[in-house]
Amino acid sequence: MRSFGIRICALAAVLGAAAFASSAFAEKEIKIGVIYDYTGPLAAGGSKAAAIATKIAIDMINEKGGVDGYKIVPIYADAQSKVDVAINEATRLMDEQHVDMLMGFYSSAECVPIAQKADAQKLFTWYNVCIASSVFKGKNLQYVFRAQLHSDQIGKAACTFVKEIAQPKLHKAVKDLRVAIIHEDGPYGSGVAAGNVEACGADGMDIVLKEGYSATAPDLSSLITKLRRARPDVILHTGYNPDITLFWRQAREQGLKWDALIGQGAGYGQYDKLHASFGDEANYIFDVDPVAAQLLDAKTLKPGLGDLTQEMITRYKAATGEKEVPPHASMGFNQAWIFFTDVLPRAIKKYGGITSDDLRKAALDTDIPVGGTIQGYGVKFFPPGTPMSGQNERSSPVVMQYLGGQTKIVWPAALRTADPVIPLPKSSAYAK
Amino acid sequence: MQIFDSFLLEAVINGILLGGILALLALGLNLIFGVIDVVWICYAELIMIGMYSVYYAHNVYHWPLALAFLACVLLVAALGALLHVLVIRPVLGAEPINQLLVTGGVLFFLQAVATLAFGVEFKNVGVSLPALQIAGMYISFARLIAFGVALGGMVALYLFLKRTYIGTAIRAISQDRGIMPLMGVSPNRIFVLTSAIGGALAGLAACLLVLQYDIHPAIGLSFGPITFMVCVLGGLGNMVGGFIAAFIFAQFISVGGYFLALEWGYVLAFLFFIGMMFWRPQGILGGK
Repeated sequence: MRSFGIRICALAAVLGAAAFASSAFAEKEIKIGVIYDYTGPLAAGGSKAAAIATKIAIDMINEKGGVDGYKIVPIYADAQSKVDVAINEATRLMDEQHVDMLMGFYSSAECVPIAQKADAQKLFTWYNVCIASSVFKGKNLQYVFRAQLHSDQIGKAACTFVKEIAQPKLHKAVKDLRVAIIHEDGPYGSGVAAGNVEACGADGMDIVLKEGYSATAPDLSSLITKLRRARPDVILHTGYNPDITLFWRQAREQGLKWDALIGQGAGYGQYDKLHASFGDEANYIFDVDPVAAQLLDAKTLKPGLGDLTQEMITRYKAATGEKEVPPHASMGFNQAWIFFTDVLPRAIKKYGGITSDDLRKAALDTDIPVGGTIQGYGVKFFPPGTPMSGQNERSSPVVMQYLGGQTKIVWPAALRTADPVIPLPKSSAYAK
Repeated sequence: MQIFDSFLLEAVINGILLGGILALLALGLNLIFGVIDVVWICYAELIMIGMYSVYYAHNVYHWPLALAFLACVLLVAALGALLHVLVIRPVLGAEPINQLLVTGGVLFFLQAVATLAFGVEFKNVGVSLPALQIAGMYISFARLIAFGVALGGMVALYLFLKRTYIGTAIRAISQDRGIMPLMGVSPNRIFVLTSAIGGALAGLAACLLVLQYDIHPAIGLSFGPITFMVCVLGGLGNMVGGFIAAFIFAQFISVGGYFLALEWGYVLAFLFFIGMMFWRPQGILGGK
């Protein structure tokens, strides 16, 4: 009986040692909650494209064996284009799945509350797509970071572009230029519009109308009637996808004309969708956005980034079957890639692990010069205690125009691949 | 700024045309409630399915648009009947809240099925109708058609209910569900028929909306809540009340949005709705 007991104890000891050895040699993991809008109206507005590209980045990193011994374990969650669902999913990932960090997010309306929540819980969070300045402005966030640009920059870029083309293209002094600003009324649209008002106002333009609307509004005819009455030369429009197509359809029906319509991200970054809805009328639309990486000259970037962009494009087309790769794919891929190849290795090597504090310290050390990412901009985060703490201070947008079925960069001059076509050619139903 | 000008008149006309769309949407929902006493919360999702059917029939299988419209009306009519047989009939005797929840469940079910079956991408039939230009005002031809169809649908439904034997039976059932079986009328058959007619009206609305809106699984969110409020404002089950309420609601949105910010138009409409719920909780013309 005694010998049987000894055998049992020995067996238990062997099993215990084996289990310990197995855990000691097990691959280390970083568990990341990746939240995007895979369904609902925002999915087709760019969220799904960004989500696919983020997954491509994760797959590519894992195919190379992960990051310094850490395998990336993503837990994908669908925010369903609803703020409450996004918050619930973030809470579930934090409290039940005990993720090491959060990543992704398309909608600024989701980013604003989740930033507060994640920061309060000291959970490292890395935003890939949402752009509202209000996510960071005056919040002094400590654990939330965004390499993506912010809405004030988009608002300012649009006005700077308009100012530069006023005289040479529209033959008007800047002060005589009539500008209308319309936007969806969430944090994203309101943020960009606020940037427009500040920048266009400072440049002395005549802002003849500024108005917000709900992205799910079933009717925009009153807004269009007011725009016709205001007679703007240039319309600055920030919207998602269903509202943009409704606006364009009703604008045509109600005879609204313009010299230039400058879209500002989200739905305007989806040229293939605009073309599917409006055919050749989608030509000459401007879009202010972070650049789609494939439009940049690879020679202006760090060696190897051109190949990386091509790999992303190939995989994205294979995954979706689409010919056009929207800027949102670059956003979803680029921010994720920056994290996995710059921040995470530093956190592991320099700070010893993947706790939120390790990741935070590593993020604050980030110093990527201009040309060091596939979207061209550099990365350095505003430090704690500054008004935009956690936001990338080196990000920058471009102005693109859809010309002959292709996307061209028309601003800034240093990156220009085509001369902007403005005013709208008479062949367009929207031309004055 | 001159207050009374052609732009204001255009806003008023646009309000009337928007009212036509809302009236058509409310018509089927009111018919269902008026007869069966059940609110189809998923009504706008039936319209969404109808819009997809037009897209696939016309753009993918290249059916003529008129045939695609006919197929849409028949399909959604069949869906309406099926909805009654499979979902509503088992809960006919249940508490109203249970009936509401079960059609709410169908709403999410249809949204999820549409997402899985059709994807999240926006679809468009690519039909663009011209606008009428009168005295400096622009009037959407698509909305004008919707307005005409709403009026025609209202009159046709009225005549059907007043002048036909089946219509009389439907009205009789709506007035006294218990006594009609004693007179040889089968309530179940009348309910299925009413559901099919309600579905057909949803299909008709889908045919008109598809000319003006992109199709996506969440399109119902743009119309569902407003349609429900229009029905309540007019008096749930009262088709004439719903018709009037649709135009009042639309004028608040259109003219209110013209004088103030667009969002204020909706705020004023909802304020009016809340006020009316205090003053006339039974709706403008009362219930059925």
